[in-house]
Amino acid sequence: MTTTTNTTAPPTAEEAPRTPLSMRLGRFSALFLFLGFIILFGIITGDTFFTRTTWKLTFSEGVVTAMIALAFLVPLVAGVYDLSVGAMMGLSLVILNWFGVNQRGVPVALVAVMAIAICAAVGFLSGVIVVKFRVNSLIATLGMSQVLIAFQLKIANNRQITGAFAKSWARLGTRDVVGVPIVVLYLLALAIVLWFILEHTPVGRYLFAVGGNPDAARLAGLDVERLTYGSLMASATIAGLAGVIFSMKVGTYSSSTGPGLLFPALAAVFFGASQFTRRPNVWGTLVAYFALAFGVKGLQLAFGPGTFWIQPLFQGVALLIAVALASREVGETRRSRRLQREASLAAEAAAPVSIPPPGPTTSPTSTESPGGSASVDVQQ
Amino acid sequence: MSALEIHHLSKTFSGQTVLRDVSMTVADGEVHSLVGQNGSGKSTLIKVLAGYHEPDVGATATVRGEPLQLGSSSDAHRLNVRFVHQDLGLVNDLSITENIMLGRRYPRRRGGAIDWKAARAAARDVMTRAGSALDVRRAVGELGIADRTRVAIARALPENDDPAIIVLDEPTAALPARDVEQLFGTIRHLTRAGNAVVLVSHHLDEILGISDTITVLRDGARVDTVGVGDVDHNSLVRLIIGKELVKGSGRDEAIVRSGSPSLTIRDLSEDSVLAVSAELHPGEIVGVAGLAGSGRELVAGMVTGRLPRRGSIIIAGTEVPSGQPRAALAAGMAWISGERARYGTFTNLNLRSNLTMGDLQRHTSAGRINVQSERAEVRDWIDQLGIVTRGSDVPITSLSGGNQQKVLVARALRLTPSVLVLDDPTAGIDVGAREQVHAIISNYTTESMSVLLVSTDSDELARLCDRVLVMVRGVVTTELRRGVDLTAENIDHAQVAGAAA
Repeated sequence: MTTTTNTTAPPTAEEAPRTPLSMRLGRFSALFLFLGFIILFGIITGDTFFTRTTWKLTFSEGVVTAMIALAFLVPLVAGVYDLSVGAMMGLSLVILNWFGVNQRGVPVALVAVMAIAICAAVGFLSGVIVVKFRVNSLIATLGMSQVLIAFQLKIANNRQITGAFAKSWARLGTRDVVGVPIVVLYLLALAIVLWFILEHTPVGRYLFAVGGNPDAARLAGLDVERLTYGSLMASATIAGLAGVIFSMKVGTYSSSTGPGLLFPALAAVFFGASQFTRRPNVWGTLVAYFALAFGVKGLQLAFGPGTFWIQPLFQGVALLIAVALASREVGETRRSRRLQREASLAAEAAAPVSIPPPGPTTSPTSTESPGGSASVDVQQ
Repeated sequence: MSALEIHHLSKTFSGQTVLRDVSMTVADGEVHSLVGQNGSGKSTLIKVLAGYHEPDVGATATVRGEPLQLGSSSDAHRLNVRFVHQDLGLVNDLSITENIMLGRRYPRRRGGAIDWKAARAAARDVMTRAGSALDVRRAVGELGIADRTRVAIARALPENDDPAIIVLDEPTAALPARDVEQLFGTIRHLTRAGNAVVLVSHHLDEILGISDTITVLRDGARVDTVGVGDVDHNSLVRLIIGKELVKGSGRDEAIVRSGSPSLTIRDLSEDSVLAVSAELHPGEIVGVAGLAGSGRELVAGMVTGRLPRRGSIIIAGTEVPSGQPRAALAAGMAWISGERARYGTFTNLNLRSNLTMGDLQRHTSAGRINVQSERAEVRDWIDQLGIVTRGSDVPITSLSGGNQQKVLVARALRLTPSVLVLDDPTAGIDVGAREQVHAIISNYTTESMSVLLVSTDSDELARLCDRVLVMVRGVVTTELRRGVDLTAENIDHAQVAGAAA
């Protein structure tokens, strides 16, 4: 399923300025995988796989998890891990359910806004732990997720909560709009907003800078602390929103709901980071997530109802392969970049006129040779 | 029999000769110092001896009569040639015993468990041989720098009692003056036991105080080997520099600047910087020189807020707090570091994003980055600074080091700073790019901007600066002025000769 990226012709100096074909195609491996699944399961179980119901179901079932993935994505861009996104979604959901059961008078929309605000506040608290107390984000948010789970268990009395919401609320999550499940549109809207922020605003650029080189970001004048706070609050807010969407779509709270979504979400983000722009990105995450979701769905259809164990197996294996390929490709990229640089330096030195890139008019007599830099290193 | 003999050692890095037919002999029981300026080849010699570099063909070496294969670290180790590098290479979280046992075989008890009692005894033994009675159970992290140095020396000693050759590479660079004497005690202890010590240091007073023999390297060649009784401070400086001091002509004194300074540095201190003060006036380029360990390498970091500091930094009348680069930027300071990969470039972003990092305001409308206008500005900089690239949106890593540096120069210049701080801006870039960066610095230093140039390159300082402050052991010992006494030779001399100049 990942054959597209396996053949790598070592780039020679002549062709070095271009990335090898296999790697250019590798940026779209999730799309190919998606297509491959569709063809494969179309052939095996075409009668059930190619139905409107299957497609609508697979997309709408994936919406909440995909949102959790997007929540995880935002801080990851800045090099911050937020492992509390699943539990955060659960927090939002349990608040909605509790009010639905115990305070029927309060409008659900108001409770939803409140739940999201509470999540954002908890995100701020994680920020304090990471920024002020300098706790590694992985540990800080792992700890926070356990605290959140404890809180939920207490509120829900360790029981499932059902029937908390009126039909009108459920319709907001179960309707179709022009044949498309409405929750899919919610996801799309969120994705467009996040894509715009990450790729087209200064804040997005700065988040990538902090993720790439925090020291250099601080020295370039970025407010690294504020960006860290902001990214953790954003992920908490998105996770809270995912909880609200879940309350519309399914409604039921159970303590395993939120945390159970963490792994598939992470798998999608890491797989997606090897796609398109080759860094954590919104569309790569979504394509990766749904490629895997359709793979799972196809397998379940092909092998029948006894295959509940397929999902974790499939997602685990897919994550391992995707990340292994991505790290290989990073190595390849570095190598090809090095080759490119050497080739362009050689071109500068040899013929400053004819070969692209155009050499400087004052042709340097010596290129950056290992000896040159070595002698500098050695001087201390 | 001599402890170590090296004959006809040359080393060429892709056409550039760094060591030229060097021969030297180290006797048993002596302290043999290796001195020379930056780039004289002494570090390369040590690295060949340690096995980091292969020498050119024709080099031979013997240790106490046995042939030593140069360029092989295991052979050097086998013949008891041991090294203590400047950074010591200790693990702070581990105990003295554990640090010493790194690279050694732990004694075992039956069943494979470590025999800690025996391990501690072994550690205590080498510590005693290094002249120290520290409790070997203590963590290295809680020791002072002098004791840490001693642990590193003890670790370098061979397991057996055979005489060794201990090479100390700049061991006093980080040591406060009062600890230097303790280190010398350790060195004497070693030589009395029959070991030979090869010492690399910039501090001539120390060299003269501890050595028996001194070998001077200049431009990769051995200039002379002298007994310590045959030289004094001045004649040793002459050997190292190779030229008589150039006396200033005394005319054409740099313009006396009046008005308010654009940068005031007052009593800057912390770490190995003890006290540095300076005033920079608009239009002035002021250099800071100093050998490794003089504190020179920390000055730019402290001024820009990258490193914590004591003392005050006042940019155009605004005092900026310590450790806050943002405040310094806001006050009108910009900077360029020679450590590009660490403090400058974002390898996950393209050239354009790297260049405009920090100030996107001018290309943002309604919250959205206008890529067209951003690209136009970046193209403009590419033309102005002659950045060789295939375009504005290529990965920053596809550029050569010199061109990456020009991108960072553009990042600083586009802020139109009133103070520009350059921290070894041409480190690791090729000669052509270095020339270009120099031209840019001269051309863009306007009447309204002042420049602080910290550099290891004396030629660079002499060419560009109006004044150069030379640091020795954390303080400015000499100030050289353009038109009076500012030459590369005088910078070298002041760095090497220290306070006695």
